[in-house]
Amino acid sequence: MLQRKMVVLIGIMVLFSMILSACTTVAPAAPAAPAAEGGEASWWRTAAQSANCEGVTIRGVSESTPPSNFAKEVLGPAFEAETGIKVELETTSWDQMYSKAINDMQANTGIYDFVYIEQDIIYSYLANNYLTNMTKLIADNPNLASPDFDLSKFTSFIDNFKDANGDVFGIPMEAFIKVYLYRMDLFNDPAIQEAFKAQYGYDLAPATTHQQYQDIADFFTQYGADNGLELWGTTVQGNTGHSSSFYEFFETIAPSFGVYNWGINMDNWKATVENGGEMNSDKAKEALAFWVGLLADAPPEATASTWDEVAASFAAGRAAQGWVYGENAAWIATNPEKSKVVGNVGVALPPVSDGVMADAESGAGYIGYYDGGAFGLPVSSKNPLCTLLWMQYIGQESVQADWAVAGSRIVMESTYDDPKVQEVNAKTDNYYTLMREEGPLFRGAPPFPFHAAMVNTVQPFIWKALSGEITPEDALDQAAAAADAELVNLGYGQ
Amino acid sequence: MRSNRMGWGLLTPTLVILALVGFLPFIYVLYVGFFNWNAFSNQLGMQWAGVNNYRRLVFDGDFLDSLWRTGLFAFVSVGAELALGFLLAQTLVKSFPGRTIFRTIYVLPLVMAPIAVGATWRLLTIPGFGPIPYYLDKWFGIDFRLATYADQAFATVILMDIWHWTPFVTLTLLAGLTALPKEPLEQAQVDGANRWQVFRHLTIPMMMPVLLTVIFIRLMDALRIVDEVFMLTSGGPGTATQFIGIHIYRVVVPKTDFGYGSAMSLLVLYFTIVLCWLLFIALSQVGKQRE
Amino acid sequence: MKTSSFRKVLGWIGLYGLWIFMSLVTILPIYWMIVVSARSRVELFDRPTLLIKSFYAPNYIGPLTDPVFQRYLVNSIVIATSNALLVTILALLATYALSRWRLPGSENIFFWTITQRMAPPAAFVLPLFLIFTRIFKIGNWTMFDTHIGLILLYCVFNLPFAVWLMKGIMDGIPIELDEAAFVDGATRWTVLIRVVAPLVAPGLAITFILSWIFAWNEYLFAANLTSVEARTITTGLAEFVSVTGTNWGEMAAVATVAILPALIFLVFVQRYIVTGLTFGAVKE
Repeated sequence: MLQRKMVVLIGIMVLFSMILSACTTVAPAAPAAPAAEGGEASWWRTAAQSANCEGVTIRGVSESTPPSNFAKEVLGPAFEAETGIKVELETTSWDQMYSKAINDMQANTGIYDFVYIEQDIIYSYLANNYLTNMTKLIADNPNLASPDFDLSKFTSFIDNFKDANGDVFGIPMEAFIKVYLYRMDLFNDPAIQEAFKAQYGYDLAPATTHQQYQDIADFFTQYGADNGLELWGTTVQGNTGHSSSFYEFFETIAPSFGVYNWGINMDNWKATVENGGEMNSDKAKEALAFWVGLLADAPPEATASTWDEVAASFAAGRAAQGWVYGENAAWIATNPEKSKVVGNVGVALPPVSDGVMADAESGAGYIGYYDGGAFGLPVSSKNPLCTLLWMQYIGQESVQADWAVAGSRIVMESTYDDPKVQEVNAKTDNYYTLMREEGPLFRGAPPFPFHAAMVNTVQPFIWKALSGEITPEDALDQAAAAADAELVNLGYGQ
Repeated sequence: MRSNRMGWGLLTPTLVILALVGFLPFIYVLYVGFFNWNAFSNQLGMQWAGVNNYRRLVFDGDFLDSLWRTGLFAFVSVGAELALGFLLAQTLVKSFPGRTIFRTIYVLPLVMAPIAVGATWRLLTIPGFGPIPYYLDKWFGIDFRLATYADQAFATVILMDIWHWTPFVTLTLLAGLTALPKEPLEQAQVDGANRWQVFRHLTIPMMMPVLLTVIFIRLMDALRIVDEVFMLTSGGPGTATQFIGIHIYRVVVPKTDFGYGSAMSLLVLYFTIVLCWLLFIALSQVGKQRE
Repeated sequence: MKTSSFRKVLGWIGLYGLWIFMSLVTILPIYWMIVVSARSRVELFDRPTLLIKSFYAPNYIGPLTDPVFQRYLVNSIVIATSNALLVTILALLATYALSRWRLPGSENIFFWTITQRMAPPAAFVLPLFLIFTRIFKIGNWTMFDTHIGLILLYCVFNLPFAVWLMKGIMDGIPIELDEAAFVDGATRWTVLIRVVAPLVAPGLAITFILSWIFAWNEYLFAANLTSVEARTITTGLAEFVSVTGTNWGEMAAVATVAILPALIFLVFVQRYIVTGLTFGAVKE
C-alpha cells in the first residue's frame, strides 16, 4: 500500500519536473523591440543592424553591487529596446565572478562577451592579453562609433585601464574613494565635545593624524560602555578569513603611514627590507600594530567583517568613525530602510602620518584607495561588435547621472555638475565634492600582474596578526619573506 | 551459459557516463600535476615540471599543517560521533512511545545541504545578533568570537559536524544492533555475565562489520569536508580551520595555481586511500582476535 | 520490588530527558534560521530573542518573486529529479547485470568509482570546466551551464552509492524466479521489468529519494559549472553570504526554502530514508 503511494508520489514529481523543464527550455521570446516612431531609426538601431546584431544575446559577468545591478536592471533593457540586442548580465559574488571570468578567458571558451574588471586586476588581464583594445576596435569600425561616446570625457580614472600606448582596454563603469566617515551627531554634541576636550586637551574634530584617530576611538568606546550603548570607537575591516582585511591594510592603512605599493620594490621585485622592499619596514610595522590595536575599539563583529559588514555596522550606528568604501557612503547617509544613521554621516579625508600628504600631492605617494571598475571585452568573445555597441551605450554621458544616484559612482567629469548628483552630494556631506577635488590624492592598486597570487600569499599572515596568533611585527616579517619567495616562483626577480 | 553480452550491455550506460565525467577529469588532474601552470605567472601556459610539484609539497609547511589539522578534526569528530551515536542507538533499540517522532526530528540535519548547515550555524554564532555569543556572554561571561579565537572556531566546527552527522552513525548502528542475533546475548546473561562484559566481548565484535563501515564512510567524508566549514568560518581565523579541502580550493581557484593544486589533490587522495585501508586492516584484525 | 520499579521510572525519565534534549539541540539551529528569516534588516541587530514577534514577509517575497531566484529553484528541481531518475534506472540495469552475470573486472571498476568519492572535489573543478567547454561541444553549444551537464556529473557521486545500495537487494532476489519466468517463455527484458523490478521497488524508491537529496544539496560543482541558465538554489545561497552578507534575513529565508523539500520528504517517507541510509552499511 505504501509502495503504491510512493510510486504515485515519485510519478507526480517526475511529471512535474518534466513540465518545468519543458517550460524553461522554451526560452521566452524576447519582447519585440518597438519599431522607431516616425520614419527615422535611431543611430543605435542602424548601427546594430549594420553589424547584424539584432536579436543577438550578449553575456556579461559582474559583482552584485548597486552599480552593476543598475546596469543589469535599467541600462540592459533600455539598450535592448533601442537596438534589439539582448543583454544578460550575471551578477554574482566577488570570488565567483573572478573565477568564472578568468576560467573563460584563460580557456578561450567565449562564454562572456564583457567582464567586470576591477581596477586592481587590470594588470593581470593585460599581461595575459585577455582583453580587446577598445581604442583600436572603435578606430577600425567607424560606422559603429557612436556620436554620443567620447573617451576624453571620462575622469582620469580611465588611465588605469590604458596600456603603455594610451589605448583603452576597459570602459569605466564605477569609481569611488574609500573615505573616512564619522558620526556628525556624536561629534557635534556639546556635552561630548566638552568631555573629550577635558580628557584629551584638544577639540573634538575628524582626525587628521593617527594619534587623534586612536584617541577618538578610545574615547567613544569608553563612552559607549559607560552609557550602555552598542557603540564603539571605530570600524575595522578585519575579517580573518577573507581578502578584505588584506585590502584594508595594504590599500588604506599602510599608505597613510607612507608604505606604498604594498611595500614591494618595483625595480627588483622584492618585499623584505633586507632586499630593498618595505613590507616589513618600521613604518609598515607601526601601521599594522596601529590597525590591529584598533580591534580593541571596534565592535565584536570586526574580525568577521568584510566591506559589507563594515558598512552594515556603521549603518547600524555601532561605530563613531571608520573607513568605508564610497559606494556604501551614499546609502548609509540617505536610505532609512537600511541605515539607522541617516543624516548624521560626515565625510573627511583619512588621517595620515607626517610627509604622506606631501608625497600624495607631489605624486610620489597616496593617502588612500581609489577604487572602481570597468567593463572589458575579452578577446575570446564571439560577439565583439555587438558588445562594442553596449560598451558605448553605457559610456554615454546621458546615462551617467541616474547611474550615479543609484550606485554612488562617478566616472565622468560632467556628472559631478548634474543637478541630481548635486542633490545627493548635499545629503552626503559633500562626498562627491571631496571625490572630485581630493580624488587625485588617492590611488588604485599598484600595477601588479601577480595581484591575486600575492594577496593569497600574504593574507594568511595578516589574518594571524588580527586573531592575535602572532604579533604584527612577526606577521610582516613572515609575510615579506613569503612574498619574496612567491615572486621568484612566479618569475619576477631572482 | 548465457552470453555475457547482455550483461555488459546493461552495464554499459553506467560505465560510459562514469568514464566520461568521472575518469576523464581524473586523468586530466593526473596529467596537469606534472606541469607548472599558473594563470598569472610570468611565463604563460603550461611548463613541464616532472615531479617538482610533488617535491614542493613535501616541504610545503602550509600544506602539511592543513593535513594535520584535517586529520585532527576527522579523528576527534568521528570519534565523538561514534561514541555518542552508539549510546543513542542503544536507547533506540527497544520501541517506546514517541520513538518515531524523536527519530524523525533527530534525522533532520542529515538531509540538509551542507552549505545550508554551515549557513545555519553561522547565523547562530555571529557576534552582534547570534544567540550563542549573546547568551554565553550573558550567562557565563565568555567572549565568544569565532573570527578571533582559533580554538573556539575549531571546537565549533567539530560541534557542527557532530550535529550534522551523528544521526547517520546512530541509524546505521541501530540497524546493526537490531539485526544482531539475540541468543548469544541472552545466553551470556544466563551464564552470569554483567552488561559491561556482554557489551565488550559480544556486542562489539558482532557489530564490527557495521562499525568498520561507519568509520570508513565518516572518515572519508570528514577528510573531504568543505562547504559547511567554508560557510561557517571561511577557513579562519587565519588558517585555523583551513582543512585540506578548503586549502586545495584556495590554491586552485583564487591562486590559480592549477599544476600545484592538481598534484596536491592526488597526494591527498592517495593518503586518504592508504589511511582507510590501514584502518580497515587494523580493525578487522581486532575483530578477528576478539572472536 | 519497590527499588526495581523506582529504577524503572528513573530509566524512563532518563530516556525521555535524553531524547527531549537531543530533539531541542537538533532543532535549535533550524529554528533560529527561521527566526532570522522573519526579521527585517534593522531589527536584526537588536537583542537576540528566540521568539518570533512579527513576520517580516519581504525576506521571503523578495527572493520568491525574483525571476532569477525562481529560475534557480526550478533548475534545482529539474536537475535533482532528472538525475535521481537516471541514476535509479541505471542502477537497476547495472545491479541486475552484476547480480546475474559474472563480469570480470567489474569489482575493480567499482572500487575505483568509490575512490572518486574520496577525492577532494576542488581539484576537479578546472578539468570539468575545460571538458564541459571544450570537449563536450557541438558547434556553438557546450555542456557548460546546462542542466544535462550537472545531471550527468552527479551520476559520478550517486551511481556508485546507488549500486552499492541496490546490489544487496538484488542479490536477495533468488535467481530461481528468473528461471521460472524463462521456462514460461519470458525474455530477459520481461523478466527484468515484470518480475524483478516490482520486487526491488522499495529499494528503487529509496535510491531515487536519496539520490534526489544528494543532487539537490550539491554546491561546489553547481557553483563552478553553471552561469546563468542552470544555476541551482544552493549556489544562490552561497552568493548571498559573500556579497549581500548584511542581508541575513533574506539569506535565512533562502536557506529555509532550500532545505524545505528535503524536510518534507523526510517527514513523509522517513522510515524508508532511514532504511536506505543504513541499508548498504548493514548488508555488507
